[in-house]
Amino acid sequence: MPDLPKKKVGIVACSGEEMAEGTVTRLAALRVLEQLRPNETVTICLPLFLAGGEGDRAFARFYPTIALDGCDKRCAARGTEMYSGKPAASIVVTEVIQTNHLGTARRLSDAGKQAVDVVADQVAQQVDELLGVTWDRRQGQASEEIQPAEGLEAKIATCSCGSGIPIQKVQVDGQEVTFIALPLIFEQFRDAGKLPGDGTAAELIETVKVYNPIPNGQQAAYAQAVMREYAAFCQEEN
Amino acid sequence: MTKVVIVPCSGIGKSYGTVAREGAYVVTEDLRPGTTQLIPLSLLVLGDEQARADVASAQAITIDGCKLACATKMVAESGGTVAHDLAVLDVYRRHRDLKPAGIAELNEGGQQLAQALAEEVVTLVDELTGEVKHA
Repeated sequence: MPDLPKKKVGIVACSGEEMAEGTVTRLAALRVLEQLRPNETVTICLPLFLAGGEGDRAFARFYPTIALDGCDKRCAARGTEMYSGKPAASIVVTEVIQTNHLGTARRLSDAGKQAVDVVADQVAQQVDELLGVTWDRRQGQASEEIQPAEGLEAKIATCSCGSGIPIQKVQVDGQEVTFIALPLIFEQFRDAGKLPGDGTAAELIETVKVYNPIPNGQQAAYAQAVMREYAAFCQEEN
Repeated sequence: MTKVVIVPCSGIGKSYGTVAREGAYVVTEDLRPGTTQLIPLSLLVLGDEQARADVASAQAITIDGCKLACATKMVAESGGTVAHDLAVLDVYRRHRDLKPAGIAELNEGGQQLAQALAEEVVTLVDELTGEVKHA
């Protein structure tokens, strides 16, 4: 299995600039990312779903995602679902915090700062719950099997700005198909000495299938295309 | 009079995003509250009708925190006219002594950089609105 961020939760905050609740989402997300669950969470800027590439749009399919919104417009939840994948959980500040005295978007009041604490704690709790759930990246949703949250990667949480999930476009039977994580999978196979022609096809396509759905009846065409690209990848690297 | 729309990056991963946000507040709340309007990027992502209409009917100044230029792209995508697009990194290159740090809370350098950014934006706003400030 490639060394991808297998078990992290994505947090998408609306960051709404015009209201205090938007600032609460931004600061709560940062609190979780930097302090409460730094090893278990990643984030992406909401606009990257439109302004970024396909790798960015794959975000919510790759990670179980918590959408964090300031108001009932739910820009983060709806935007994530429209352009990436349905969030696994959704938190709206106005539904959690029952006060209108949060300060301004620019400067939160003491009540606003307390709201950040409360919302961040709720997000962290939700992260813990999601980490106990197996995420099916083919379906972009939780599968029913429950696993304990063990063996998590211990990497520093970073923003996904500019990185996203690596993708590669491949011609399959004359049609362009976008494969998630393919460059990383190729790299890992090559680094492990599993070169084309060494009977790696079956293992490679099984790994690719973890992240990419293969339509019924097209397994052979997909396998052929992936192996062709892998051979080209290995040749380029030599 | 139609206000100049200010659209900052809502970047959450880098200090430059926070500088963009803070600079936009300095412009719209402190320096030119009467002639500028801040539009949240998240509303444009969602395709909010009012936000799109506001952007489409005015000149926009975008402030981006990284090379992906989400703010500029989103305004264009929303049917708006980007009169000027500023990158925080470019402003920083002009003010190397103001190194920003921190995301949730900017350091002193970051706050001063936001102020410098805002002053550049204000010059552009005044050009667009035809205002000339005499010392």
